[in-house]
Amino acid sequence: MSDGIRVASLDDIPQGEGIAIDKAITGTEDDIALLRDTDDTVYALNDTCTHETASLAQGWVEEGFVECPLHSSKFCLRSGEVQGLPATRNACPHRVEVRDGEVYLFPGEAP
Amino acid sequence: MSTSVVIVGGGVAGVGTAAALRSRGFDGDVTLVDPGEFPYDRPPLSKDFLAGGRTLEQIALQQPSWYDDQRIRLINRTTVVALRAAEGGLELSDGRVLSADRVVLATGAAAARPPIEGADSPRVHVLRTAEDAARLRAALVPGARILIVGAGLIGAESASTAVRLGCEVTLVDPVAVPLAAALGHDLAHWVHGLHVRHGVRTLQTVVESFTDRGEAGIEAHLAGGEPARTFDAVLLGVGMVPHTTLAEQAGLEVDRGVVVDSGQVTSNPAVLAVGDSARTRLADGTLPPRAEHWEAAQTDGARAAAALLGTPGPAAAAPWFWTDRHGHHIEGVGHMASATRTVVRGSFDDPSFTVFGLDDGYVVAAAAVDDSGAVRAARRMIDRRVPADPDQLSDPSVNLRALLRN
Repeated sequence: MSDGIRVASLDDIPQGEGIAIDKAITGTEDDIALLRDTDDTVYALNDTCTHETASLAQGWVEEGFVECPLHSSKFCLRSGEVQGLPATRNACPHRVEVRDGEVYLFPGEAP
Repeated sequence: MSTSVVIVGGGVAGVGTAAALRSRGFDGDVTLVDPGEFPYDRPPLSKDFLAGGRTLEQIALQQPSWYDDQRIRLINRTTVVALRAAEGGLELSDGRVLSADRVVLATGAAAARPPIEGADSPRVHVLRTAEDAARLRAALVPGARILIVGAGLIGAESASTAVRLGCEVTLVDPVAVPLAAALGHDLAHWVHGLHVRHGVRTLQTVVESFTDRGEAGIEAHLAGGEPARTFDAVLLGVGMVPHTTLAEQAGLEVDRGVVVDSGQVTSNPAVLAVGDSARTRLADGTLPPRAEHWEAAQTDGARAAAALLGTPGPAAAAPWFWTDRHGHHIEGVGHMASATRTVVRGSFDDPSFTVFGLDDGYVVAAAAVDDSGAVRAARRMIDRRVPADPDQLSDPSVNLRALLRN
């Protein structure tokens, strides 16, 4: 198992918001959204909403969920499970760790 | 608790009811009857689907496997022709009879076809179903002369799609600034101005009659001394007429919509109604207009499911809608008409920007162009009754989420 990719500092992600990590860095098909919940836990999901094309990193992060900035579909931060229409497919989650204020991403690994 | 529910209609209200029943723990039989091949989402019908950028499968409201996974029996290509509430049964178009403890009417609406002389021409379209959209799309060829009647959401979005496809688009509406009640005058004016800035001709008038000129097109006779103009196709985007026939025949109370209480229950306790066909009577007895929006329909479904289960419904939330046109994403939340003052965050000259509507120190509405984060913040300010300082709202350097935390 790798040590993950250091992709950001925790301070780069405002509480309740997200940042997108380019797929050129993650080596995945989609960019990956790092989402910092209101309790400061950081989660990672594929960035593109499963409904259309919005970036979940631009979404509203609150109490365990991220809300898509376009049509307000919600996804569970921990599992990626879709909570309501119009999206119908779950978002893909990735393992993420915060060590000493640095965020390490494990693309493709289940959380 | 009821053990079998039949939902009539597979729009977002019907499918939303089915989904909410399961997510809230309903274990009985759920049957969904829909006239189409499968339930699909309607907002794309005036946007990507109309432009040919998405297939019907791509706008399905649920994946095909969802119905089995959720144990929802989908009876497609079928309509309900009679509701026999007293016997707990429904008669289907194929002659079958279904029985149910509870029925949820999610019958939706038809596109309005006002009695304009000549509007029965095949060149005159409406837009409500995927079939309507496919038929209209065939007319939206580059250079086609398209008249759109009505600059509400359907008309405006279709105008945007048509001009993007290379059509020569004329958009008429009797109102100088459409959507002013929903977005506030200034933002509505800016949004309506997008049409002209993107090459749509807008006229403040109404169509008095049409004359089909065969191969030459269809002539529209406009009020107010405008010269008659000839078009290849016309789209009427002038509102909807709720499907209430089943309810009327079953003796339910209907008043421009199936009248329901706060739990979506009709005048017959075994029958509920949701979505565009339902009209909610408030606790004080008043009957406001039907909501006619996507999210409202889905929320109706959640309320109906809660009522069927005898559990508390979703918390009241400010109404929200969006519209996409000319490359901009526009959202509105709350009741702008109830605002006594407004403040702008950002600049109309440089989207994104947001208009907040305030009353007595609280946000009561917001409308935004390409600024959905501000609308999500506003929605929470409204729902949680967070006091708001206009100077902070209008300062783009102030983090709106931080205002919610204080």
